[in-house]
Amino acid sequence: MAHKQKRYALLIDSRKCIDCKSCVVACRAENGVPLAYSRNWINEEHRGAWPKLQAAFEPEQCHHCTDPACVRVCPTGASRQRPDGIVVVDDADCVGCRYCIIACPYDARFFREDRGVVEKCDLCAHRVDRGEVPACVETCPSKARVFGDLNDANGKLRDVLAKRNYRVKKPEAGTGPQIYYLL
Amino acid sequence: MKTIEWGFLIINYLFLGGLSAGLLFVSALATLIQKNAETDYTRIGRYGAMLAPWPVMLGCLLLVFDMGHWYRFYKLFLHFRWLSPMSIGSWLLMAFSSVSVVYFYSWLEAEQRERLFSLLPRRLRFLHFLNRDLTAWRRPLALFGLPLAISVGIYTGVLLGAVQSRPFWNTNLVAQMFLFSALSTGCAALILGLLWKSKELQAGEIRSLYLLDICFLFLEFFIVLPYVIHGQLSVQAVRDSLQLILGGPFTFVFWVFFLGCGLLLPLAIELWETVPALLSNATNHYGKQLAALSALLVLGGGFLLRYVFVFAGQMSSFK
Repeated sequence: MAHKQKRYALLIDSRKCIDCKSCVVACRAENGVPLAYSRNWINEEHRGAWPKLQAAFEPEQCHHCTDPACVRVCPTGASRQRPDGIVVVDDADCVGCRYCIIACPYDARFFREDRGVVEKCDLCAHRVDRGEVPACVETCPSKARVFGDLNDANGKLRDVLAKRNYRVKKPEAGTGPQIYYLL
Repeated sequence: MKTIEWGFLIINYLFLGGLSAGLLFVSALATLIQKNAETDYTRIGRYGAMLAPWPVMLGCLLLVFDMGHWYRFYKLFLHFRWLSPMSIGSWLLMAFSSVSVVYFYSWLEAEQRERLFSLLPRRLRFLHFLNRDLTAWRRPLALFGLPLAISVGIYTGVLLGAVQSRPFWNTNLVAQMFLFSALSTGCAALILGLLWKSKELQAGEIRSLYLLDICFLFLEFFIVLPYVIHGQLSVQAVRDSLQLILGGPFTFVFWVFFLGCGLLLPLAIELWETVPALLSNATNHYGKQLAALSALLVLGGGFLLRYVFVFAGQMSSFK
């Protein structure tokens, strides 16, 4: 069988998320992100009134879109998409114009004042290249996150997406987000 | 994490870039339509050429210092990315600034050039071969500068309009709005320049600039109006974003200061000063104070338009 190009994506089962923020801490530790910034975060939503109420937690980070607006607007090509779909920022080429931060519909990027460059989640590309999963996926105690290759017909990602209903966030922005939230 | 990334440096840069584009546009237009003899348009051409290069250069400086690594700005010129408005814009600004400087130089008189070259230190004496009369280049440079000026004027709007994730910006009207605002601020700066340098107002000059500015202000007004109306008839995200100027934090600045004082009031002043003379075919004596007032209002309006759009745009997003 011909070798297929990988297309990495993330699947999140929000109902399993308990807002422990291990993923946020793991990401900080793995990527050396200072406390003032975060490459990933957890959205919290509270519905209803006591005693009928519900709290929903939804982890979020860069969606590694198929048609990323940040990559399109970058004037130097520092923001680029790898063939496997992971969107990365090359520090050496980033001039710190912050156009990409403004262009991202998910506000997934931030400007590191101390380093003068833009940073974001890169799905721990250095780990992925070694055959490991991203730090947030590895550390999640409730297994709310599944990382995998969309082009792998026998992979877990394809399996879950075939069986369960899911949604993506802000599809109307037209960037083709690749974080799948299970319903 | 939502943050406001672009602040006053960018607002000033967008304003100054537009101002230079407007100055060069009006000056080039005057140069192209004037006959060989000295006419009303000669001073407009000269003053526009004298003023045009400086605001855009100051603006570029602000832009460079807004970057995280200001000394890396050269990297913008190691790449050309035709889908990135900022990449196209950097190259455009480079071309525009260069042309506007040569155009400025072509308008210098022989004695002005002498004075300029006498300022050179001894070690740079070899540069004296540049001391040439470029009067014959004025028209070709104007012809070349005209499309560049329009491009720079429209680019400042495209930079914002091309961002699909900010509904406040992402309409096809922002680019034109910024263009006509830029051209109008160019007219206003020229009126101020002429007032500053001359004891008597020449009716022909001021009338031409007024008429041009009236056209630009009308065009701008009839772009702002459909921008708001069409936005209100659009999808939820656009309607939500327009709340920033329809009850939100920018309502007063937008409607009273920008649209009222910065667009409609100067438009009214300029119409008041020109229309009666046009209708009766009589010669009019234009008031200096009114001319200065309307010009200052137009400049203020141009700045506030950019202020509102840069901040409101960054605050808008899809829910």
